[in-house]
Amino acid sequence: MTTTNVPVQPRTSIGKFLVQGGTTIALLALIVFFFAMRPDVFLTFTNVRNILFQVSILAIVAGAQTLVMVVGDFDLSLAATSSLSGSAVASLMLGGMPMAPAILIGLVVGLLIGIGNGLLVAYLNLSAFVATLATMTSVIGLAYLVTQGTTLFNLPDGFNALGQGRLLNVPLPVYIAIAIAVVLWAVLRFTTTGRKWYAIGGNVEVSRLSGINVRRGRLMAFAAAGLISAVAGILLAARLGSGSAVQGSDNLLFSVAAVFLGMTVIKSGQANLVGTMVGVAIIGVMSNGLNILGVNSYVQQVVTGLIIIAAVTLSGLKTRER
Amino acid sequence: MRRRTTGIAALVAVAALALAGCSSSGGGGGTGDGGDDAPFKVIAFTSGNQTPIGAWWVKAVQAKADENGWDLTMIQGDFDFQKMNPQVESAIGQGADAIFDGFTDYASIGSIITAAKDADIPIFAMDSGTEATDAFVVNITTNQQGLVDSTLGALDESLGGLEGKNIMVIGHDPHPGIRLRASLAEKDLKAAGAIIAGGEIQKVKSPATGRTEALAIVADYLTAHPDGLDAVWVGWDDAALGASKAIDEAGSDAKVTGSDATSEAIAAIEAGGSFLATINQPWPEVLDTVTDDIIAFQKDGTMPAENFVAVDTTLVDKANAADITPSDKL
Repeated sequence: MTTTNVPVQPRTSIGKFLVQGGTTIALLALIVFFFAMRPDVFLTFTNVRNILFQVSILAIVAGAQTLVMVVGDFDLSLAATSSLSGSAVASLMLGGMPMAPAILIGLVVGLLIGIGNGLLVAYLNLSAFVATLATMTSVIGLAYLVTQGTTLFNLPDGFNALGQGRLLNVPLPVYIAIAIAVVLWAVLRFTTTGRKWYAIGGNVEVSRLSGINVRRGRLMAFAAAGLISAVAGILLAARLGSGSAVQGSDNLLFSVAAVFLGMTVIKSGQANLVGTMVGVAIIGVMSNGLNILGVNSYVQQVVTGLIIIAAVTLSGLKTRER
Repeated sequence: MRRRTTGIAALVAVAALALAGCSSSGGGGGTGDGGDDAPFKVIAFTSGNQTPIGAWWVKAVQAKADENGWDLTMIQGDFDFQKMNPQVESAIGQGADAIFDGFTDYASIGSIITAAKDADIPIFAMDSGTEATDAFVVNITTNQQGLVDSTLGALDESLGGLEGKNIMVIGHDPHPGIRLRASLAEKDLKAAGAIIAGGEIQKVKSPATGRTEALAIVADYLTAHPDGLDAVWVGWDDAALGASKAIDEAGSDAKVTGSDATSEAIAAIEAGGSFLATINQPWPEVLDTVTDDIIAFQKDGTMPAENFVAVDTTLVDKANAADITPSDKL
């Protein structure tokens, strides 16, 4: 019996560079490509604002998803939670409640759903997939109950201004998304809570032996994600001037995709806020650019999937390399 | 040994009797030729119960059943054919006199159609396909060509003619009605000399996100072609509201038409912005007609004269918006 030793090819520095910086390079390549195709349009102030406006809600949901994925879980109920919160606020305001308490109740709805998910996953040890899938199903049902299956509209102008108003000619949701992203980035990077979350996501057992309260950490991550997704849902209702049980449902898939794309940005291959925002930018730039070029929406969907596959493959390569 | 054999024989006899009982109790009570006194048994189903019109239909059919003394089994599919179809087939297996399909395209219910044919139960339908099919004894829907004529007529009048105008068409392929009317609109616009913005029908992928998808499509198009849009023809109101919002935000003068006459669309038309017109489809009248057909069958087995009927629709614009009952307030 003979054995064959397959020599391991050392990765060239260019290969390493492409693997490690692939997602960021992809974003830059997309920007260069679309700019080359439509130099008169793509990087104009109007279009950049357009892209930022279009991805602002997704950026918030993806930020929420990042927190949960940092602790090694994921949340399938985030988009449904955001729809329920937006619908609840719309319903309360149409019932005569002033804007501020209605928004507060909408945020509490999101927080409670997040806490519920956290309890199921962290304390009852249900898998995040099963628990949040079940929560998503119930939350969508609740949203249908709240809206009675219809679209709630005629919302107060003051509320609509939150989603449609502008400051320095830039829509308010863009500022809110940036503010939330900065806060989440700071929490993850500079606070003990953030470091504990990363430790839990890295290795639950080691974290537990190091004295970290793993259950509480996971609960907090789900709770924060629920609250943040409620903000996204309320902003979406304000942006569209209406609330419905299903609006923004595509944010679930795209938020997970954005986090996966973002995981390829840093060496460790972990979920991270900056990477997620790069992922959000890729999704936004691609959708906008392909629309501008008049590419069929079905083709756009195929391309989006292919880019996610490519990014996750890169992420896998990087993990193996480590 | 003998005891065991006797026991098995007894079990077989009981099972045979039970099966015989099942088969003899098949079929509903008051069949189409008005034979016995058992209530007329109707299976009604819809996949679209989560839409406002579907939700209205569920309640309205229940009211018709109460009014006419039907024994009604109502099955709500939540757009999930894997869940709905077996439920309907199971109900068919338990026997019925008639089946009532609301807003569920025949292409999605092949197994139900087969089961109904095998059991010799007629299917009455409303808005369940855009062309005649042997699957139904009757399917009453709306006249898609008339709908397109009305909306394009409104655009023609508003724009001072369609020739040379840039008009975007937004459709959604999985919905047969929207798919048909979008293709008719594209064909008629080209025939009238209009330019189809984007070169082809712009396709929204999911009805759940129709408004945001249409908003993004139109906003991006207007960014690339700031003066390149005269109108947007959209196959349904929710997406039309997204297109209208994009136009208003971009400060464009383009006009939008939709279809469905939802309360939000009617309010937008009354507000006098870019939303020019929508279409009211007379679903309560269609329900009355299909119900009359079922009652005629219940009485003496009379079948509808035609198996496909397309009724006219009403254009809703600023002039008559206040007089229309919105489809989500039926």
